[in-house]
Amino acid sequence: MKRLLGVALGILTAIGGFVDIGDLVTNAVVGSRFGLSLAWVVVVGVVGICLFANMSGRVAAVSGRATFEVIRERMGPRAGLANLAASFLINLMTVTAEIGGIALALQLASGVAYLLWVPVALLAVWLVIWRVKFKIMENVTGLLGLSLIVFAVALFLLKPDWGVLASQAFAPSVSQEEGPGVYWYFAIALFGAAMTPYEVFFFSSGAVEERWKVKDLMQARMNVLLGFPLGGFLSVAIAACAAVVLLPAGISVTTLSQVALPVAQAGGQLALAVLILGVVAATFGAALETTLSSGYTLAQFFGWSWGKFRRPAQAARFHMSMIVVLLAGAAVLATGVDPILVTEYSVVFSAIALPLTYLPILIVANDPQYMGEHVNNRAVNIAGLVYLVIILAASLAAIPLMIVTGAGA
Amino acid sequence: MSAEKRRKIEPSEIRPAPRPAGLVLDAQLHLLDRQVLDVDGVPVTTVDDLELSGPAPDEPIPEGAAPPSITALLTGPVLGTRIFGGRPPSNRLIRIPWDVVSGVDTVITVGVRSDSLEASWVERWLRNHVIGRIPGGSHDPD
Repeated sequence: MKRLLGVALGILTAIGGFVDIGDLVTNAVVGSRFGLSLAWVVVVGVVGICLFANMSGRVAAVSGRATFEVIRERMGPRAGLANLAASFLINLMTVTAEIGGIALALQLASGVAYLLWVPVALLAVWLVIWRVKFKIMENVTGLLGLSLIVFAVALFLLKPDWGVLASQAFAPSVSQEEGPGVYWYFAIALFGAAMTPYEVFFFSSGAVEERWKVKDLMQARMNVLLGFPLGGFLSVAIAACAAVVLLPAGISVTTLSQVALPVAQAGGQLALAVLILGVVAATFGAALETTLSSGYTLAQFFGWSWGKFRRPAQAARFHMSMIVVLLAGAAVLATGVDPILVTEYSVVFSAIALPLTYLPILIVANDPQYMGEHVNNRAVNIAGLVYLVIILAASLAAIPLMIVTGAGA
Repeated sequence: MSAEKRRKIEPSEIRPAPRPAGLVLDAQLHLLDRQVLDVDGVPVTTVDDLELSGPAPDEPIPEGAAPPSITALLTGPVLGTRIFGGRPPSNRLIRIPWDVVSGVDTVITVGVRSDSLEASWVERWLRNHVIGRIPGGSHDPD
């Protein structure tokens, strides 16, 4: 019974933890401009993150080594450092976007300008990282993040024409005014939002934090294989809400209140309150994960002691670097840059950096010195290679498309 | 260099190296960039470079010299020289003497506590001056 509860809890937190500010904004933007014609990208992204999160979790459980230690060991210091620099910058961008997201959600709830909420959000995130146990942190934000199911409820309340939505999703076509360049640019953004590299750093380091062993792998696999697809379903619901309300009205999403508009229209004040709770929980959880991930990557590259299972004083450099990251993120927000804009760029840059994370995992998951008998089987390797091709194509196409389309304008 | 004529060694005169007994380690594959853990399993650092005994790379090797052996694992700024080239002055190297190494596997273990090694000075400085001074810094998370 206790085990069953553990499994249910794991799945629920995986659903709530899947959606972050990147998924919220990108799905709403895409829904408001392309309807559901990019829903297939979410499916491709979810299958990919399941595949690689599983792989990195298995590497961590079997070898006890988190992803970035392995990246440096296998790629050497030069390529490893280049990888660290890219991953760290994108992580920093994502931290900034998530803290901005918390502040924007609190502005939506209170009417107080979001810039005043930034220091509050910053302090709250730091306090949780400083004092709260890993397991509690994960479960609370994940469960509260489940409130985002309100998007799916709102979609039913809106009584959409399901046939139209289905034809958008299953027979995707590019509208005249958008053009194929913009369509593919947003496909890459959506792919980057679903497959964000920090999820993999976080997942593998979390496995070490929670001391996974090989026998825990089955439960971890269920969390991923059930939780992430249901999280992806929430992503599609966000896009569908935007497609039903915003697309016909010609509103393209540039603020968080526009993301919330369909939910408010369908369910009124109560739904809006639930939505805000969900957004705060999801962005707060993701802010924790990205801040920790930047500490994890640095500590693992340089071999520092790390982990929330240690007292902060026993992982001094790890905690110091996270304080610096949080302050840097807040400093970027203090310039008055639009957090939604930071989010939109962060998901595209995530897509560009994807091969840097995913190639080393694939290599190590095949290395018997680390993995013993738990090396990848043939089916996983074939899927991994197919995804590597997709990831490389998205990564190479991202910058040219960004220039040609003026970042999707 | 002296004017004394050095005997040229023909390749045919060089005997093959004796088969080493026990485990063969590849420095690049098994030592460099590996995580170092202390006796309690606390991460110390990553192996950034190795220090070998014997003459410097551009000095001539005297005949009959003992084969070089690893004298220390190096860490710290020396990593920059592996990435950007060059050689640091030897007084700037942070050494973990090879004598304290107790095991080489997918991680390298040393048989002493991290705090007793020079390699952990940044960690100790930050602990004593910053992180340990923030309230709650030396308590278990709850």
